[in-house]
Amino acid sequence: MFRSKGSLLALSSLGLAAALLVNATPASAEAKCEPDKVATKYPSIAGKTLKIGQDGESPPYSYRDPKDFKNLLGLDADLARETFACAGIKIEFVTGGWSGLLPAVIAGQTDMMWDTLYYTPKRAEQADFVTYLTAATGALVAKGNPKAIKAMEDVCGKRATAGLGTVEEASFRELSKKCETDGKKEISLVTYPDMPGGTRLIANDRADVMTTDLNMVNSFVKDNPSTFERGFMIVSDYKIAVGYTKGNKDLGQALLDGLTVLKESGKMKEIFEKYNVDYSLARANEILTK
Amino acid sequence: MKTISALSHESRAALPHAILAFLVVTSSATPALAADGPPLKPWQEFLSYIVEPFLLEGALLALQISALAMIGGITLGLGLALMRLSNNAVIRGSAWFYIWFVRGTPQLLQLVFLYDALPPLGIKLDTFTTAVLGFALNEAAFSAEIIRGGIVSVNRNQSIAAASFGMGSFLTLRRIILPQAMRAILPGMSNDVIGMIKGTSIASVIFVNELTFRSQQIVGQNFKFFTVFAAAGVIYLIMTSAISACQALLERRFNIEIDREAGRGSGFTFLNISLFGFGPKPAAPPVSVARTPVPAAKDNVEAAASLDWIRNITNPTSPEPGNESVPFVVFRNVHKAYASREVLRGIDLTVNKGEVVVIMGPSGSGKSTLLRLVNHLESLDWGEITVEGKYVGYQRRNNMMRPTRDLAKARADAQIGMVFQHFNLFEHLSAIENVMEAPVQVYGEQPETARTLALNLLASVGLSQHANKLPHRLSGGQQQRVAIARALAISPRLMLFDEPTSALDPELVGEVLGVMRRLAEAGMTMIVVTHEVRFAQEVADRVVFMDEGLVIEQGTPVEVLGAPKHERTQRFLRMVEREVDPA
Repeated sequence: MFRSKGSLLALSSLGLAAALLVNATPASAEAKCEPDKVATKYPSIAGKTLKIGQDGESPPYSYRDPKDFKNLLGLDADLARETFACAGIKIEFVTGGWSGLLPAVIAGQTDMMWDTLYYTPKRAEQADFVTYLTAATGALVAKGNPKAIKAMEDVCGKRATAGLGTVEEASFRELSKKCETDGKKEISLVTYPDMPGGTRLIANDRADVMTTDLNMVNSFVKDNPSTFERGFMIVSDYKIAVGYTKGNKDLGQALLDGLTVLKESGKMKEIFEKYNVDYSLARANEILTK
Repeated sequence: MKTISALSHESRAALPHAILAFLVVTSSATPALAADGPPLKPWQEFLSYIVEPFLLEGALLALQISALAMIGGITLGLGLALMRLSNNAVIRGSAWFYIWFVRGTPQLLQLVFLYDALPPLGIKLDTFTTAVLGFALNEAAFSAEIIRGGIVSVNRNQSIAAASFGMGSFLTLRRIILPQAMRAILPGMSNDVIGMIKGTSIASVIFVNELTFRSQQIVGQNFKFFTVFAAAGVIYLIMTSAISACQALLERRFNIEIDREAGRGSGFTFLNISLFGFGPKPAAPPVSVARTPVPAAKDNVEAAASLDWIRNITNPTSPEPGNESVPFVVFRNVHKAYASREVLRGIDLTVNKGEVVVIMGPSGSGKSTLLRLVNHLESLDWGEITVEGKYVGYQRRNNMMRPTRDLAKARADAQIGMVFQHFNLFEHLSAIENVMEAPVQVYGEQPETARTLALNLLASVGLSQHANKLPHRLSGGQQQRVAIARALAISPRLMLFDEPTSALDPELVGEVLGVMRRLAEAGMTMIVVTHEVRFAQEVADRVVFMDEGLVIEQGTPVEVLGAPKHERTQRFLRMVEREVDPA
């Protein structure tokens, strides 16, 4: 009967349901840590060891423990450990180049990517997402901010750098055109393949400003106060989320429940503070499937 | 952190200065994260990264992947190289296509494809397997071309000589071609190994945590890129130096220009391993002349006293030499053409048991081709040739001669020895190893028996002293005498000589003809293509004159050489005598 009405209706009802889900406050009243009940709560993933993809080279989200390189530290690593401890599910971190992490989830080689991944509707065609953080951009400049870069408009006529293929690169390109129409000089832009490579451009005076995730910028400044400082920051409306295997409902529920419990218990705040991540950037947890 | 700020001062310096400045820079840096205990000095930190297990595990992983992928890649590559050299256009084409595709697409994409695009098809490979498979498939394409280059660099004479002794194509490849091709193959192959060890870093995209990726992770956390990357660089250097050293040792092993007797004493003995089973046999122990069962002959063919050895090697079951009424080799209406050019246009000829037949004629008259048809180095187009009543590698079907499948076995069974104009000795084998090769590898003779026989044969051609020398150390005349000994080692029932003295300096011709003369005296059945009129006069039972693919005239030396009937024979003999007279 329902099917006979055609797929259009089915699609739109699904869309409505998704919209409701997004707007609803998480149904967290009953969310509890009950690792013993894993078989009844999340039957399809109970007893499995879930593979979590991380790159292990982006502090403060995922990086190697300087005291024991075998260990992974970081906001994403700790949140993942706490979430699945709460659900009673074993996990294993697999580290690889960032650009290979999402393809591996899509191919079924890993169960999820938990590594500062932005949710986009395009990506949601191939994976499902649970949000936990609001993205913010920080501008890294040399100590003393010699070119006085205090806002995005100040970058006109300067040397800027951003990660290849990132939203930051795109926004610099857009801004450069705007600079020209406003009668200012264009931006000379260089892209970098990995984060430490970008910071070296600033340290070696090959670029004036580098934009990337705010918390990474904060982390670089904190670790190298005599070399770097933050020029400016912008809170964007991008959602940072865990990307997991499309259609794995139990996994999505376990993520949602775990993150909700962590937030309510104050554990999440603790982890944010441990890694100097502004807790006001934590956002409502929601499952996004499209 | 100071490492970074200090670097900025050096950023305008040229690269070599920057590298030199590295020590200065790091010596003023303070390690940021050594929270416990006294901070390490930068050079200590650098050393500690070199022995850091986290990095060394990454290096080991790179080595494991490279080693397995190289083994797989070279094996596949050898197959592809042989396919590329195939006569079959489909086989050749498919190998070409594979190489074209794999070499032409980025390896990163190949790895991602294997890892991420195959699971939906039900093939889910783990990280390590994907890396080994991906690198092996890629290496196969590159090594195929390196191996093919090596194979084609080996003179074709080598495989013709091997074929004449009944060595099959695989045996020839393993024993003769590849050991000589190794010199051309090794440098390119070492490049590939080194390239692969370093190139495994691109596999981080499929979760391979090898050295570069691990050092990037450490740098991502502590920003000590100079210290960490320098340490990683040193680890890479250690690994690649080991490969370079192996390359140098292997190149020495396969370098035929190095005197092996000298090499043996200089610490390279352990390299007498048989690489992939196709290395040349470990060099023979030095031959002591005193141990040879025959009396030591001086380097003078006339000195060889006994002819017993030839009686021993000529087929003992055959009738006594000298029984010249038995037809041994029979040519009937033999035709052969290369493309549209007719080389043989209907040859009828009979060679009797124990007879010495000399074939003469201007160049291009088809003499050498006729010789090569006897032991089926070339296939005939029409007519038939029998040796002792049997075809060599043919079956008669519907009144047509068709080559049999196992041509190598047919040649071996026929036991026909052949001596070439350019000697065609196996360049990588010593004189005695050249002589032993066919008896051991084709006829399954015990190496010790074959060695004794080889020593006897070398002694009787006056070369006992040179048994352990490689061919390029010998004069042309000596090389041709080794070639005769090599042909005799298979106990031939028939000997074919294809212009055996044409490539020799005049003063060396005599020593080779001397050996042939004694062979004839011992009753060997011989077909000799030569321009040596005197040899023909004195040794031949019959002289056959050929021109333009036909037998023009034949008869005893007195008839053909003394009173040639045909005008073309007369003209040819006048020309040959004019050449000989001034000398």
